[in-house]
Amino acid sequence: MSVARYWVPALFAALAAYPFLPVAEANRGEQFTILFVYAILALALNVVIGYTGLLHLGIAAFFGIGAYTVGVLTVPFFPLQQSFLVAALAAAAVSAAVGVMTTAPILRLRGDYFALVTLGFGLIALYAIRNLDAITEGTKGLNPIEAGPLPGVKENVDLGGARLNAEWGTRWYKYPYLYFVILGALGGVTLLLRNLERSRLGRAWVALREDELASSCMGLNPARLKLAAVALGAGLAGLAGAFYAMALRTTGNPAAFDFTLSMTMVCCVILGGLGNRSGVILGTFILIGFDRIATNLLDNYLQEQFDSGAKTYLKVSGWRLIIFGTALIVMMRFRPEGLLPESRHQRELHPEASEAEGEAAAREEAAAGDPGTEGGEQKST
Amino acid sequence: MFELFAQSDAAGGFGQYLLLGLVLGSLYALIALGYTMVYGIIELINFAHGDLFMLGSFFALGLAVWPMDVVTADAPTAAIGATVLLMLVLTPLGCAGLNVLTDRVIYKPLRTSPKLTVIVSAIGVSFIFMNVGLFWRGATPIKFPDLISDANLIPGTGLRFTWKDLMVVAVTVPTMIALTVFVKFTALGKAMRATAQNPAAAQLVGINADRVIAATFAIGGALAGVAAVVYGLYIKSVDYQMGFQNGLYAFTAAVLGGIGNIPGAVLGGLVIGVVGELGKAYLGAKWSEALIFGILIVILLFRPTGLLGARTREKV
Amino acid sequence: MDRRKFLRIGGTAVAGVGAAGLLAGCGGCSGKGGNTIKIVSSLPRTGSAQGQTNTIVNGIRMAIDEYPDGLFGHKIAYQDMDDATAAQGQWDAGKEADNAREAVGDKDVMVLIGPYNSGASKVSQPILNEAGLLQISPAATWPGLTKKVPGDEASGEPDIYRKSGKVTFCRVCPTDDMQGPKAAEFVKNVLKKSTVYVIDDKELYGAGIAKLFMEACKKLGITILGHEQLVKQGNYKTTLEAIKAKNPDVVYVGATSQSGAPQIAIDMKGVGLKGPLIVPDGCYEKAFVDGAGADTLKSLECYATIGGKDPSLLTGAGAEFVKKYKEKFGNDPEAYAVYGYEAAKVFLEAAKAVGKKDREAIREAVLKTKDFDKGAIGKWSFDENGDTTLQVLTISRVEGWPMKPVHTV
Repeated sequence: MSVARYWVPALFAALAAYPFLPVAEANRGEQFTILFVYAILALALNVVIGYTGLLHLGIAAFFGIGAYTVGVLTVPFFPLQQSFLVAALAAAAVSAAVGVMTTAPILRLRGDYFALVTLGFGLIALYAIRNLDAITEGTKGLNPIEAGPLPGVKENVDLGGARLNAEWGTRWYKYPYLYFVILGALGGVTLLLRNLERSRLGRAWVALREDELASSCMGLNPARLKLAAVALGAGLAGLAGAFYAMALRTTGNPAAFDFTLSMTMVCCVILGGLGNRSGVILGTFILIGFDRIATNLLDNYLQEQFDSGAKTYLKVSGWRLIIFGTALIVMMRFRPEGLLPESRHQRELHPEASEAEGEAAAREEAAAGDPGTEGGEQKST
Repeated sequence: MFELFAQSDAAGGFGQYLLLGLVLGSLYALIALGYTMVYGIIELINFAHGDLFMLGSFFALGLAVWPMDVVTADAPTAAIGATVLLMLVLTPLGCAGLNVLTDRVIYKPLRTSPKLTVIVSAIGVSFIFMNVGLFWRGATPIKFPDLISDANLIPGTGLRFTWKDLMVVAVTVPTMIALTVFVKFTALGKAMRATAQNPAAAQLVGINADRVIAATFAIGGALAGVAAVVYGLYIKSVDYQMGFQNGLYAFTAAVLGGIGNIPGAVLGGLVIGVVGELGKAYLGAKWSEALIFGILIVILLFRPTGLLGARTREKV
Repeated sequence: MDRRKFLRIGGTAVAGVGAAGLLAGCGGCSGKGGNTIKIVSSLPRTGSAQGQTNTIVNGIRMAIDEYPDGLFGHKIAYQDMDDATAAQGQWDAGKEADNAREAVGDKDVMVLIGPYNSGASKVSQPILNEAGLLQISPAATWPGLTKKVPGDEASGEPDIYRKSGKVTFCRVCPTDDMQGPKAAEFVKNVLKKSTVYVIDDKELYGAGIAKLFMEACKKLGITILGHEQLVKQGNYKTTLEAIKAKNPDVVYVGATSQSGAPQIAIDMKGVGLKGPLIVPDGCYEKAFVDGAGADTLKSLECYATIGGKDPSLLTGAGAEFVKKYKEKFGNDPEAYAVYGYEAAKVFLEAAKAVGKKDREAIREAVLKTKDFDKGAIGKWSFDENGDTTLQVLTISRVEGWPMKPVHTV
């Protein structure tokens, strides 16, 4: 943990400094903004899968619900016209409520049945978004999303001293201000989860994940704990959805919130290190960053160099799924605990590792007073 | 929407949709069997199964063109028969081989790993298969040769049951019966059931678990191959993303019936086929998918281990 | 492998990704202020629209090749961006927004050609409008993108896309408000049928054109037996059985070859629903014929409509274009190739007239284009909304590829 503790703030500091660097480009910064949104989504999923061990395959639905809540509350098409702050909070609240309502009845399902029902729920939510034209405009998406002024801030206000660069514009919802807002939100979520992991609730989640029966014997209420995790995860996913809609200025096509997204997020979480915040952020940056930024750059580079034109197999994006798939398989074969594993989870997966190391790790952990940062797989029951 | 179906003729209406649902359902059931058998043995949700099915249909499409160039129903009947037979033999063989190879290379080293690790690997395999399909046939849907007649076999009843529907039933029902007999009465089938129940105890009585697992993957793959051929001939259009949607339905069918349970998968497939088609007819096509998953959730709420799943007590 | 070591590797990987990003940033700045004029296109290059977009891109390249010496001392560069993802097989809002921003960020870019889908235009148009960057779509035909659609005023189109108050979006293809009604006239006057059943795919384009078709039918006294919205699905037999019971003379399918139209044609034949079947320009491509099968379409009596002329009907410069295209790429251009060519050509000519590298000046010059005849589709102008004044519709009989034009309006 000790290295990661300095590594993550360093990364945040570097990202916060990015817009000030001479090489900074607005469009690249805007792409990074989207990356932060996905990182929040991955952290949200990590609350559910990593902390409590519930395999949830419908996280994209909450993301979509968040995006559409913001859409309904802000587009000129509807009379509500709330400011973004209100809309984002509403998005988180609505997603959390939907999360609790849809999970409460199915808590008694085990393992794969739970996974499938959440998958089914995710798809139903997607179909509902697609079919309820009166609210969601069907497949057209709600747009453009109007980012009204923040409460207490006048629209079009000259940001004066805050403006360090003449090209930065005056609206808070444009680059680089939105970049800072979402980066700040990502930092806030990370801190919140860090503290939560060490709290009573976080420790209870880990206990529940490791052994549900024993923890309920100790007086923990499994149902309430699981619902709390789902509510938090769904709420954060809704918040991420709100930022997504804001960054894109549209809710986009409902198909963007389908099972593929849920699956990709599960892959991000597992690739980075289940249960480990920094790992999850790293996994998201690598997978989504590759997908949304690197493939484009490489494609354009190849196109310039070789005039490769339209042949699918001559483009990096054509190989995207093979690269994804191979990365996942190799990772699961040689390092199933993820890039930055959580210590307890790693020991579980590598029982052959030396005792001494395990003890050292345990001592380190005890010394750090950090008993609640485990990620791991619920043993099949 | 509702008026449309209220006005359709009574004889054709409900019975026709039911018939269509049963035919489609038996197709889903065939794919679902592959999920359920693999799950029964190694508790793996094989996300790549749907994409294996897709590759199978691409392979079958190649067979229509390659040895005899039978691409329309105008070809001589003997040639059509021979081509269909060739597809039904070679495609399952190819799919079985690929499935066993995948297991050998990718899942076998992970036998002792936690479930999630293996599932993520399966997702990876699914991605790779899909990409291969994309390279193979491109992204556009492709017409599968229309080899079997659409002529109605029961004219005058107001219902439509064509040679195509008959072909689906004639392939799927015997396949399922053969599978049931195989699992129930042969030595290998018994070994499979034993391994599914208790792998350690099965090994103690001398069952070679690796061989049993390989055989399961082979059979599951072969069933996907058969389903791929039947799907191609019945739906007549294939594309590289079809594995996802059909795989999802089949997986849902397997869970609905009680995952790991062979009759359950068949029942689940039929339920999903019928519910889906009736939903299209009476609720509108755009809601039918939501209805399928809605039914799944409702059934699991009341029977948490599926329709025919064993009600095992939680192992502590 | 211990954790520290892995952290190092992970850190290096992230540093690498970051460095790549920075390098890419520099790659961009090196060209800045240089003597390059850049054209970018944002089209779905992955997925089933690829066949069609290939020919659009070829058309753009052909137009650029006609200026071997560049423009007023500037080199012409072209970048072909993809707004689709392999996972979705069609355009993606995030990708489209990324492309639009990439174009805005690169100071050399003077025009964005695209997108292909009307839905994608809704995403990129506001971004490009705020930046004041010209956008010429070769294929997005939803009328609301440029003008108010009667009956759909509540949506606020097109003003919601034009925050800057300027018009930045224009298109060289005729819009659906011509295509839908003209198809209805074709049903009444040429096919002489009196009842239709309308199916659409619930997408912006498909549902929009189906609606316009139905409105025209009502005006012309054609009975609409029903209207069904069918999101893409594996098979349509149940719905088509029900439609068959109503016995329509004509079935109109407002969908594209990506959103299920080929499967609808196949299943129409399967349940014995007789045509004629009429499809809009989203199906006017080889992919539709490949997907549904020539035998199916022949037995259904299928017609496809497209704004403008089929390549085989082009004369003069157009015929020359088709000939050159065949020589260069070895196959027939699809219907939209000529629009790709036209879009690039109208930009290049306007830029040449302006004579300097200035986004705003070029944008104004392009939108003021009147009686443009240097392209391949004859003489046309942009109206004040950015729409073409070209009002030609071709209706072709689909019995295989290429389609056979039977009727021009």
